Amino acid sequence: MTPSIIESAFTRRSLLIGGAALGGATLLSGCIGGSPAATTSAGGASSGATAQLTLQSSLSDPKPKAALEAVVKGYTTNPTTLNTVAIEQFRAQLPTYLTSSTPPDVLTWYAGSVARDYASKGLLLDVSDMWSGDGACAKFSPALKSLSSDDSGKQIFVPTNYYWWSIFYRKSAFTEWGVTPPSDWAGFMALLDTLKGKGIHPLTNGTGSTAWMASGWFDYLDLRINGAVFHRELLAGKHSFDSAEVRKVMDTYATLIPYFDPKGRSYGWQEAATPLINKKAGMYLIGAFVTQAFPAGDVEDVDFFSVPTIDAAIPSAEEAPTDGYFASAGTKNAAATKDLLGFLAGAPQQQKFIELSESSNLPTSSEVDSSKFSPLVQKGIKLLSETKEITQFFNRDSSDALQATADAALTKFLDHPGDVAKILKDWQAAAQQVWNG
Amino acid sequence: MTATRPGTPISPTSADDSRPARRRSRGQGTRRHSVTRRVPPVIWLLLAVPVVIELAWVFWPAFNSFQLSFTRWHGVGAAEPVGLKNYQTLAGDPIFLTALQNNVYWILGFGGLSVIVGFALALALNKPRPGVGIYRSAIYLPMVFSLAVTGLFWRVMYQPDGPVNAMLAAIGIDTAEHQWLADPNTALAAILVAAIWRQTGYIMVLYLAGLKGCDPSLEEAAEVDGAGWWQRLRYIVIPQLRNVNTVIFAVTVIDSLRTFDIVWAMTRGGPYNSTQLLSTYMYQVGFTQVNLGYGSAIAVVIFLLAIGFIITYLARATREEN
Repeated sequence: MTPSIIESAFTRRSLLIGGAALGGATLLSGCIGGSPAATTSAGGASSGATAQLTLQSSLSDPKPKAALEAVVKGYTTNPTTLNTVAIEQFRAQLPTYLTSSTPPDVLTWYAGSVARDYASKGLLLDVSDMWSGDGACAKFSPALKSLSSDDSGKQIFVPTNYYWWSIFYRKSAFTEWGVTPPSDWAGFMALLDTLKGKGIHPLTNGTGSTAWMASGWFDYLDLRINGAVFHRELLAGKHSFDSAEVRKVMDTYATLIPYFDPKGRSYGWQEAATPLINKKAGMYLIGAFVTQAFPAGDVEDVDFFSVPTIDAAIPSAEEAPTDGYFASAGTKNAAATKDLLGFLAGAPQQQKFIELSESSNLPTSSEVDSSKFSPLVQKGIKLLSETKEITQFFNRDSSDALQATADAALTKFLDHPGDVAKILKDWQAAAQQVWNG
Repeated sequence: MTATRPGTPISPTSADDSRPARRRSRGQGTRRHSVTRRVPPVIWLLLAVPVVIELAWVFWPAFNSFQLSFTRWHGVGAAEPVGLKNYQTLAGDPIFLTALQNNVYWILGFGGLSVIVGFALALALNKPRPGVGIYRSAIYLPMVFSLAVTGLFWRVMYQPDGPVNAMLAAIGIDTAEHQWLADPNTALAAILVAAIWRQTGYIMVLYLAGLKGCDPSLEEAAEVDGAGWWQRLRYIVIPQLRNVNTVIFAVTVIDSLRTFDIVWAMTRGGPYNSTQLLSTYMYQVGFTQVNLGYGSAIAVVIFLLAIGFIITYLARATREEN
């Protein structure tokens, strides 16, 4: 194609005007950090009409991404565009998405403190009606409802799946070594000694490139020693990290350090699963997503047991990070947005997503036919339904900023357990900085 | 966009302010008048386009970043002005001080070693001889990989049971499966080796180009006069490379201040913030924790350091030329 001279001249002129207009618009739009322009929410009115919806997703790993694409393809009521963004970028851009004048209607994210924080700023759509009557979430468990509520008691989140943390091991390896899962803390410590005596690293962990993995043991030991209530308050800034309670947790953590595979300091969580798969390490405290790291044929050999009770007086608690969706308060069509949320929360869609993404995640809807799920997942469902308290994970119960302070403090502690007094003091100082904002 | 790419220093606004003021001063008025009459308005219009684009896409975001550094802002709602508080916090922030110190080591190590090794390689490979092209290409090859890829590659090399320890064992050095990247004493040096491995080829090519521009007759004359190899290098070749040196200095300072990807790919600033550079800390604060005011304050410090280094050096270089 050869454009005529007139056409190209016209193009050049329009480019000039366009450039000037762009520059002017940028200058006029006010500086970054100013008050956001008032967003007009015209939701609710046009429930019958179809609306163009946008679903912003952070599920960029190949299998979950393909699974969500397949699920969204099944939604025909409103034309829906799915944008998948890498999670790091999604996290950084999330405030921009939500405050934009044309925000994405539905976004993937986590339940808990981050969602509550956005809700308190009025950025999330109130979906309370989905949680009552015959709404899509009405039959979800009360624990999920309270997790999905903001500080004023409104629901602002639609959870669709969650997973559990536990100590994972290979059944065939335990048989080979002639050991069985322990039932109490003394039994656990004895098991560590037995495995170490056989020349096996009793525990593996990937605290190198995924330093946050060090928080897994911290969370669980705090839950077992001080309980879920204290743990939540600690992460909310109501207790000091430099306290007798936390010191007790660290003293217990210190007794575990000699049993970790020392190479784990260089590993990420995936690499740390390799010794477990090769039977060079015995056990791994991690989320159920660890099954992704196993070769397909070995997944059936994976089993788990909950971190044993340390203090019988403390109510049982498990970590179960919950994923799902929230909607932007600035959506142009609230009714259609809720319709999409309801579709995503529906039992068939939950089942389809979990099956296609090949994860060991659990559905939030009790109507999902779980008989087809693997025995491992069924055991996970049982574990979470029987526990008294559910927490999420360190960063989801606090913030990513507080997680950074935990990463530094805990990895340093794993290298220098003798410096615990100074490490806790520094941790508290860094955490105070985060809470002061 | 709020801040620029991680590690990219922000462009100056102050330099922009001074220019129109000078132009407006008396005495220049008549000349400017004749210039405006000579140049047709269309040209002015065409010149305005890049100016507008530059203002809108470079100076305006940069100005915003400066402004943000005086606020507390988490990306939502209105930014809350806090004056100099972010800078006061920086002064007492142990991670920032570690990062600043690491940046000094980094500039010295990365800048110094890559220039020395690159220059030595350029001297060795300058004279045409059979197979020299293969060596030049081989040494330049790492440059084609992005720093992030280099980082991932070297992360595997440095694994406790990886090639680096295996190689050291093969030549009789028992490292006891040393964890190069997990030990705060060796992590930064280990990253530095990977970064230099990539950068030397680039410096070598720049020096090879500079050496091609040297007048061989000067060196020959010096040789006839009885100058030794070192004297010829010191008094004949190096002075002729002054222009190349200016370019390499600027490139190296900017590259070392904006080093981000390789550290992020290899350690993410860990173990416990011991390999944190200003750029990685800025990224962590600004983009992972979405603390944009504080992150912008770090960006401003990076910018001031870069501009300080470069202005000082350029001023000195031009004074010498005059």
